[in-house]
Amino acid sequence: MLNALWIVLLGMAIIFAVLGILLAVMILLGKLLRPRKKEEKKG
Amino acid sequence: MPTGEFLGFLNLSWQAVVMLIIGGILVWLGIAKKVEPVLLVPIGFGCILANIPLGGAVEEGGFLAVLREAGIHTEIFPLLIFIAIGAMIDFEPFLQRPYTILLGAAAQFGIFGTFFLAYLLGDGWLHVLDFSLQDAASIGIIGSADGPTSIYVATILQSKYTAAIVVAAYSYMAMVPIIQPPIIKAMCSKEERALKMSSAVGTISQRTKILFPIITVLVVGLLAPKATPLIGCLMFGNLLRECGVVERLSLAAQNELANIVTILLGITVGGMMSGTEFLRPETILVFILGIVAFSLDTVAGVLLGKLMYVLSGRKVNPMIGACGISAFPMSSRVVQKLGLEANPYNHLLMHAAGANVAGQIASVVAGGVMLMLVPMFI
Repeated sequence: MLNALWIVLLGMAIIFAVLGILLAVMILLGKLLRPRKKEEKKG
Repeated sequence: MPTGEFLGFLNLSWQAVVMLIIGGILVWLGIAKKVEPVLLVPIGFGCILANIPLGGAVEEGGFLAVLREAGIHTEIFPLLIFIAIGAMIDFEPFLQRPYTILLGAAAQFGIFGTFFLAYLLGDGWLHVLDFSLQDAASIGIIGSADGPTSIYVATILQSKYTAAIVVAAYSYMAMVPIIQPPIIKAMCSKEERALKMSSAVGTISQRTKILFPIITVLVVGLLAPKATPLIGCLMFGNLLRECGVVERLSLAAQNELANIVTILLGITVGGMMSGTEFLRPETILVFILGIVAFSLDTVAGVLLGKLMYVLSGRKVNPMIGACGISAFPMSSRVVQKLGLEANPYNHLLMHAAGANVAGQIASVVAGGVMLMLVPMFI
């Protein structure tokens, strides 16, 4: 039962860590690659 | 004359009769009630084929057995479906609101909560049911609300209940509009549900859309390598869609590939529903635990949504947390409908879709994490 508890705790922690890092990278990417004005007008 | 050897009805067991009825009901639900017809019609028909005595479809060398071996045991079908899904999904609503990935992460709690519950009922504590650690993890993955991920994880973990898990995962996606609204209404006040969210979002450049699948594969693959095949296929499909130079391949993935693999996957899953394999008390528990998984997903997503509601100074409608479940697009539609019920001018669809496609990524990561952790604790 303790094994299962570890899987739950570690599992959720890893998911938040992986997706948190992905979030940070995507925010950074969004700032670095802002659309050019021409592209914005098209959008 | 030994008629019993070639007349099917003389060899009908009660299990086969029950499964023929279940197969018929699935086909009827698909055709008459339009419940996920693309999936339920092939699954139901496969179930009928698998339970005709002496038919040989699921015996060694039979065509359904060959398809099972070639497509499910090798994990090829779920991966090919993921290429198609990736090509169909527009990740822009998520890229405009990247914070929604956290809602996707929270909503994966249904997987782990249900896994824990299943393991307690089985080998972990009560020993009431024949659920090993691998079975419990495979049952929990129903909470990914994602058929291909469920097949992939249950197959690799060699669960005894793969057929029931897959049928539950697919059929519950159609039941999202029934499962989620009462939970959301119980957790969110009318004032919260009526909260409008700002429609002012940034424009996403083409370069970002192209880099997104590549970066996602690198980040997820390097941190949770077991998720690489799933996230890799999903993101490969999305790259075909977004790169703008292989429209032919993108369309083929969205149409021909999706349709062919859906037919093969559906009929093969139906072929796994033979009476002796499917009709046991544990199957009923698998279905009950499937509802628990979807409910826990919703509760956990909405709880994080409520936290965001408070921390953002009431700018985030907590209902969109329910879309962290990767049942796309049903979950988004549910939230849009509930938002409009509470406030006729409240259009939450794009915000909900952002959380919903983020949930797709999160569920794949959760599947990979489960595959990584379970063998470590056996």
